[in-house]
Amino acid sequence: MLYLSQAIGRPVRDQAGEAIGKVADLIVAIGDRYPPVTGLVVRTNGREIFLHWQAVASLDATGATLGTTAIDIGRFQQRPNEIRLKLDLMDRQIVDIDGRKVVRVNDLRLDEVEGALHLVAVDVGPSGLLRRLGIEGPWRTIARGLHREVPERYIDWEDVDPVERSIASVKLRVPHKGLAELHPADLATIIDQLSRNDRVGLIESLDDEAAADAIGEMQPEAQVDILEDLEPERAADILEEMDPDDAADLVADLPEETRVEILGLMEKDEAEEVQELMTYAEDTAGGIMTTEFVAVPASLTAAQTIDRLRELEPDAETIYYVYVTDSQGRLVGVLSLRDLIVAKPGTRISSFMYDEPVAVRTGASQEEVTEIVARYNLLAVPVVDDEGRLEGIVTVDDAMDTLLPHPSGRFARIFGRGPGATDR
Amino acid sequence: MRGPSLALSPRAANRVRFAAILGVLGPGLVSGFADNDAGGIATYSVVGVKFGYELLWVLLATQIALFFTQEVGARLGLATGQGLTGLVRERFGVRWVFFVTVTMLIANMGSIVAEFAGTAAALSLFGVPPAVSALVSASAVVLLLARGSFARVQYLFVAVGIGVSIAYFASALLARPDWGHAAASFVPHGSLSGAYWLAVVATVGTTITPWGQAFIQSYCADKRLGPEDLMGERLDVGLGSLLANLIGGFVIVACAATLYSQSGTINTGDANAVSEIARALSPLAGEGATILFAIGLLAASFLGLGVVPLTSAYAACEAFGWETGVDWRWHDAPAFYGLLVFFIAVAAFFVLIPGLPLVEVMVLAQVVNALLLPFVLVFVMILASDRTLMGPLASGRLLRSIGWAVTGLLALLAPVLAVTTIFGAG
Repeated sequence: MLYLSQAIGRPVRDQAGEAIGKVADLIVAIGDRYPPVTGLVVRTNGREIFLHWQAVASLDATGATLGTTAIDIGRFQQRPNEIRLKLDLMDRQIVDIDGRKVVRVNDLRLDEVEGALHLVAVDVGPSGLLRRLGIEGPWRTIARGLHREVPERYIDWEDVDPVERSIASVKLRVPHKGLAELHPADLATIIDQLSRNDRVGLIESLDDEAAADAIGEMQPEAQVDILEDLEPERAADILEEMDPDDAADLVADLPEETRVEILGLMEKDEAEEVQELMTYAEDTAGGIMTTEFVAVPASLTAAQTIDRLRELEPDAETIYYVYVTDSQGRLVGVLSLRDLIVAKPGTRISSFMYDEPVAVRTGASQEEVTEIVARYNLLAVPVVDDEGRLEGIVTVDDAMDTLLPHPSGRFARIFGRGPGATDR
Repeated sequence: MRGPSLALSPRAANRVRFAAILGVLGPGLVSGFADNDAGGIATYSVVGVKFGYELLWVLLATQIALFFTQEVGARLGLATGQGLTGLVRERFGVRWVFFVTVTMLIANMGSIVAEFAGTAAALSLFGVPPAVSALVSASAVVLLLARGSFARVQYLFVAVGIGVSIAYFASALLARPDWGHAAASFVPHGSLSGAYWLAVVATVGTTITPWGQAFIQSYCADKRLGPEDLMGERLDVGLGSLLANLIGGFVIVACAATLYSQSGTINTGDANAVSEIARALSPLAGEGATILFAIGLLAASFLGLGVVPLTSAYAACEAFGWETGVDWRWHDAPAFYGLLVFFIAVAAFFVLIPGLPLVEVMVLAQVVNALLLPFVLVFVMILASDRTLMGPLASGRLLRSIGWAVTGLLALLAPVLAVTTIFGAG
C-alpha cells in the first residue's frame, strides 16, 4: 500500500543507486475498475520527463528505482485515457456517489493488485489531512496515548466521479454508471454544490435525459444559469427531454435573445408545445400544467385502453389516470389505472369511468390547485379551459412545489441574492 | 486543459448583461458596509481624537488599495466560482492552505473579539456590564444565524448604520471643522512617531482585511455571478469601497472638530473611553449623542458578527473539504456550525476579562488584521495572475503591477511600525 503523498518528491534512482531526479507525478490509465499506474513523471534538471512503468523496478515511500539502463527521455505526452494523479486529482473536488455529496481529495491510495500498482481509493478523511501536513505519525502517537482513534475515511475509486471536466470526460467515456445512477433530485443537490464551471462540465457529461431530469429538480435561477452557459444546441436537446411544463417555465425565464435561439433549435412539435404553455401566467394551473397526459374516447373497452397505454408508453407520473374526452375534446370522465386493470377486458370504459371528474380551470391559482390535489388525494388534476376542453394536467409534484423551502448558497441566503433572482 | 473560458459558451462569455448589473450590486456594498464595523468606528474615532485631520491621507490611500484588493477578490470569484481557500488548496496543497487559513482565522478572531468589545462598549453606555452584553449578544447572533433570520435583520443593521453615518456627517458639518486644514491633510505625510504609525496601521487594517478578501470572493461565487458580470461587479466594489471610506472620513472629521482640542484629557486606553468618543455626535444630538452613538456601534457590531464568523467557517470548511453544501440544516453541516459557534464563543469569552480597555482592544484588533493581511494577499495576487485558472479574467500587466505594489506597501507596514515604535519619538 502506498499513498500518493508518500511518493511525490521522493528520489528516482538508477540501477547504480544514483539519484537522477524526483517523482513529480503518477500517471494512471482510466478504464479498469482500479486504474493501473502506467508511468511516472520525473522532474530532473528543471524539466519533466515521462518514465514508462516498465522502466520502473520499484516504487515505494523511499522513492523509485529504474529497472532498465537506458531510458527514453522524451517529453511527457498524455494519452487520452490517462490522467495525472497529483495534477488532476489531488486536492480537487470529487463527487462521493454513495454519500451523494461533493468532497475534497486529501490523498490517493494505491495498492498492489496482481503484481501491478493500481489506484484503489480516495482518502477523504482526517488521517489524510494529517499525513499531508506531515504530522500523522506524532498525532497517532498522541492519540494512542489518549486511547483515541484517528478517524480515517476512504471512498472506493469505483464510487467516485471527478468533477473537473477534463477528467470527468475521461472517466465517463468508459462504461461506468456513477452519477447517472443517482436519483435526479440527488444529482441536482450535487450540482448545486458545484461552482458554475464545474456544473456545466458535469451536465455536459450526462446524457440528455439524465441532464433534463436533474435540471428539472433545480431552482429556477440555477436552471437559467446552466441553460445559458450550455451550447444552444445542447440546451435545446435537453429542453426537449424535459416535461413540457418545466421546459416552458424555464424558457420563459430566459433572456429574449437566448429564448428565440433555443426555441428555434428545438423540434417543431416540442417548441410549439412549450410556446403554448408559456402563454399562461406562471403561478396559475395553466402555467404549471403539463400537456403530457393520456386521453381516450368513451367508446373504447378496458382492453383497448390498456393497449393504447402500451402504445403511448406514458411517463411514470402521468400513467395513473386515463382521461376520457368527447369529440370536442371536453373532459367527460376519468379512470385510474387500477379501475382499468380490475375491469373485465371487454367492458366499455364509459360504464365504469368516474363521470364527474374534479378539474381546475387554466386560470386557477397554484394555491387552489395545491388545495384540490390535497383535498381529493389526487396524483394529478386535469386542467380545462372555459369550454371544458382538457388542456393538460397538473401532477402532484408540481402542485406541491409551492410548499417546499428553496435552498440556496449560505452567503446568498444570509445577505440576499439580489433583485435579479426569482423566488417563487 | 482546464479553464473557465472553455466551460462557458462564447455567447455567454461575451455578452455583458446590462440588465444584470443592477442585480449584481451587493457583494461589494455589503462588504463596504461591514468594513465600518465596531473596529472601524472605534479606530476612526481614536484617529480623529488623537491626530485630528492628520491621517486623512491614509483614508485616501486605503480607498485606492481597497478598491483594487476587492476587485481582484471579486474577479477570482467570478472566474472560478470558488472561494479563496478552495483555490489555495487546489493550487498550493494542504500545507499552504493550512497556513493561509490559520493566518486568516487569527485575524478574523481579532475582528470578532473587536465586534464583541463593540457591543460591550455600546451597552456599557447604558450601564450594562461587559460580561452580560457579551453573553447576550453571542446568544443573539447564534440564534439569528441558526434561524436564518439574519437575512432580514441585516437590513435593520445596515439602515441604522446609514442613519448613524448621516449623523456623523451632520455633526462634522455642525462642528464647523477647519476644511482647509482637513483638505491639506489629504497630502501624504509621515512621522517618526510609533503612535502615529500604529494609528496608520489600524486605519489600514480596519478597511482592508483578510476576511473582506474571502468574503467578496465567496459571495460572488455563491451568487453564481460569472465573467459577464465583471463590469457590474467593479461598479459594485467601487461604490462599496467609496462609501466605506466616505463614512470613515466623516467620523474622523467629526471627532477631530469636536474632540481633538481636548485630546490631552482623553485616554483611549481607559475603560470608559467610549463615553468620551461618543461626544463627537453632540454637535447634532446634544445630550442624546451617547444614545445615538451606542445604537450605531451596536448595529455595526452586529453586522460584523454576522459577516466575520460566517466567512471564517466558510473558509475553513472549503480549505479542508468539510461539508460546503448548500443545505441549511445544522445536522447536515456539523463542522460548519461547530466552527461558527466556536469562533463566536471564544471571542465572547475573551471580552469577559474584567477591566478590558474596550476601545483599545477594538483598535489593536485592526492592527493584527493589517499585519496578517499581506500573507493572504500574496496568494490572492498569484492566483489572480494565473491564466489557466482565470482565463480572460486573469490580471493584465497593469492590474498585476498595482496588486503587487499594494501587497508590497502593506507588507512594509510591519517593519515601519516596529522601527518607529522602538526607535521613534513618542
